[in-house]
Amino acid sequence: MSKQLPLDELSSVIARVKGLLLTEEKVERAVQLLASAAKQAIPGTLGAGISLLDSQGRRTSSAATDKIVQEADASQYELGQGPCLTAWASEQTILVEDVRTESRWPEWCAAMKDLPIRSVLSTPLIAGKETLGALKIYAALPGIYDEETSRLLQLFAGPAATLLANVQSSETPRRISESLETALYSRDTIARATGILMERHGLSSEDAMQELLSRVRADRTTLLEECSRIIAAVPGRRG
Amino acid sequence: MGFEAHEEEQCRLLRKALKFADITPADLWLTYFSIGGAVGEYEVHAYLQGLLSLPILQRDLLACAANELIEAVPPLPRAPYAEDLEDSHDAGGTGRKNSNRNT
Repeated sequence: MSKQLPLDELSSVIARVKGLLLTEEKVERAVQLLASAAKQAIPGTLGAGISLLDSQGRRTSSAATDKIVQEADASQYELGQGPCLTAWASEQTILVEDVRTESRWPEWCAAMKDLPIRSVLSTPLIAGKETLGALKIYAALPGIYDEETSRLLQLFAGPAATLLANVQSSETPRRISESLETALYSRDTIARATGILMERHGLSSEDAMQELLSRVRADRTTLLEECSRIIAAVPGRRG
Repeated sequence: MGFEAHEEEQCRLLRKALKFADITPADLWLTYFSIGGAVGEYEVHAYLQGLLSLPILQRDLLACAANELIEAVPPLPRAPYAEDLEDSHDAGGTGRKNSNRNT
């Protein structure tokens, strides 16, 4: 049998981790492009923005075509209220005809007084079962957006969400390297326990592994637990 | 490479178990690798499709990895008998600890 470690696999896992780190930049870029496409696609729009949120509603990444959009967005996340957060949480498109007469988010609307923003349209970015965030457009005049614009923005949000879902989130590389670390730690523990059994009972490495597997079957435990026990029982290894 | 006796059946039942538990070959390989498996992800894919023969130890390690993944899935909740609930009230802290672990 092959005694080689699957090092090619290991390096491909590491390469994947590196690849994912690269794609984090791609997320920023994709989000930026989508925001400016939305701005250009919908007439009367002053600026557009996209926020990606994690499952707790925290912003993981965002893009805005203009500084005003950035400010309007930032105050939503500071205040914890606003049309985009509602669009994200309710998974529905939110239409604000006039920020000055709007009553759903009093604090946010008050904060918007000094910004030239009157109409807002925000739609959730849904890919599969996951709501990734929200796409929003702002206009300087009231009553710019209607049902028709809502449908247009929703049409735009569908493929945008699919694209963003395929560019990995920033959490993924960390999760992958954690699972790689766990796998290596476990593999190392098992190799040490196999070595102990080989020495103790004069077994080949394969026979020692088979011995471990039969213990696991008899005790209904996991290989890692069994091996940790063997290592812990070696005198002088405690602590 | 020839196939040993029972190898095809072992492979078929492994495939069935994976399908039943919704475990992907990639997940299986990572667990198999972490318990000391020696062949690569590509070879494991080929084995699952019946295209490659593996030595007994590697087959058993794959079975072990699959079973560990299957065991890790929380079992379906069970309905308690009246007596079970009385026991947990009598036992106080112990009963509570058990119910926490089950959730």
